[in-house]
Amino acid sequence: MNCEKAKEQFADYLVGDIKPSAEAEIRAHIASCVSCREEIEGLSALWAKLGVLPQEQPSGGLRANFYAMLEDYKTKPANRLREFWKEFWSFRKPAYGFSFGLTLLVVGIGVGAFLTGGGSGKVTALHQELQDMRQTVALSMLDRPSATERLEGISWSAGLDKPGEKTIVALVNKLDGDPNVNVRLAAVDALYLFRDDPAVKESLIRSLAKQDSPLVQVALIDLLVEIRERRAADALKQLIGSANLAPQVKEHAEIGLKQII
Amino acid sequence: MAPSDNEVMEAVRDGKVEKLAILFERHQVMLYNFFLRLTGNRSASEDLVQDVFIRILKYRAGYQGQSKFAVWMFQIARNAHIDHLRKQRGDLPLDEQFAEPAAREPRPEVRLEAEQDIALIRRALDLLPWKKREILMLSRFQDLKLREIADLLGCQVGTVKAQVHRALKELSHIYLELREGRTS
Repeated sequence: MNCEKAKEQFADYLVGDIKPSAEAEIRAHIASCVSCREEIEGLSALWAKLGVLPQEQPSGGLRANFYAMLEDYKTKPANRLREFWKEFWSFRKPAYGFSFGLTLLVVGIGVGAFLTGGGSGKVTALHQELQDMRQTVALSMLDRPSATERLEGISWSAGLDKPGEKTIVALVNKLDGDPNVNVRLAAVDALYLFRDDPAVKESLIRSLAKQDSPLVQVALIDLLVEIRERRAADALKQLIGSANLAPQVKEHAEIGLKQII
Repeated sequence: MAPSDNEVMEAVRDGKVEKLAILFERHQVMLYNFFLRLTGNRSASEDLVQDVFIRILKYRAGYQGQSKFAVWMFQIARNAHIDHLRKQRGDLPLDEQFAEPAAREPRPEVRLEAEQDIALIRRALDLLPWKKREILMLSRFQDLKLREIADLLGCQVGTVKAQVHRALKELSHIYLELREGRTS
């Protein structure tokens, strides 16, 4: 391999998309050619440095604008009509390709249902789809390394009509183990919205003993007072009896306990 | 297992437009950084990401699913960026637009050595003509193979290899100059 041929393959070598035989040829060439060796070493170092350039995060406005655009697109009657016609004329799905007559019949029934009140069903389905998407976004954001994004994830979760089990578990995990106190506080507020769910109630009661931040402890005490259950009272008693409890928190818990009893 | 980009895009094409949110969540940060490197402007980059997803909705019927979704998406992203340049530069011939390096203010000094090095690389990238910056962005950060970049740019794979090599050499040259300027 000469210098020209070696240089033609430098890009493959850097990207790592190269056959072992070609790579071996390049290695053999640079072992004997100082000029090519210096060049590839310099370029490889820079290539590696490019790879560690930190990614920058867009502002929350981008996400908000995107979802506003998507919601707008979905709910615009003109777009829905376009969807309808696209489905009508589409032969991509095997069911539609089966026979044109059958398709007409199916779509005819669909149109009938739509005209006789099926429209509201479509809107309900649309709403459900949007809720599902929100849930997916919330779960994805709750996992992010940035506390700001996790807070945003909690805010997305709080906006759900009825969060699924995964979202509840994720919120409880944030409450019990997130390193950022603001995230834990936001999780308390979000879970408060879903306190009618027995699993949420149970998790909130259990979480009190796991908290060490006075701010989160006070927020949870207030929430347990709202729940007004014997198990909540037991959790408060246990907290009051624990060592190293901040005096203000202890006082708050004692007042709360009296309210429950 | 999570559906692939292609499967999600096919669902979007077939009417489940709400699934576009999945693609948005997967690619928005990568696209934002792609545009940020090309424009140097945060607000314009966010607008361009939004523009890409609007165009995906607009042209979804034409999605064939034969090539990788990212290749199709970056074709749209490049067109959005070229339109953005046209709007910015009025009647300049496209060739001149391509040749002109981006002009930007230097970034503020940073303290740590590693951070200084990152700042230098960013500055060097900023000084690279945008077409060369683009080929480096596509080959280094977007998880695209050289053959896929060739499809995206509509050229031979050999041309892409040569472009990557030239762009990296020029970047290296600028970077070393900046580093010498800093230490001298």
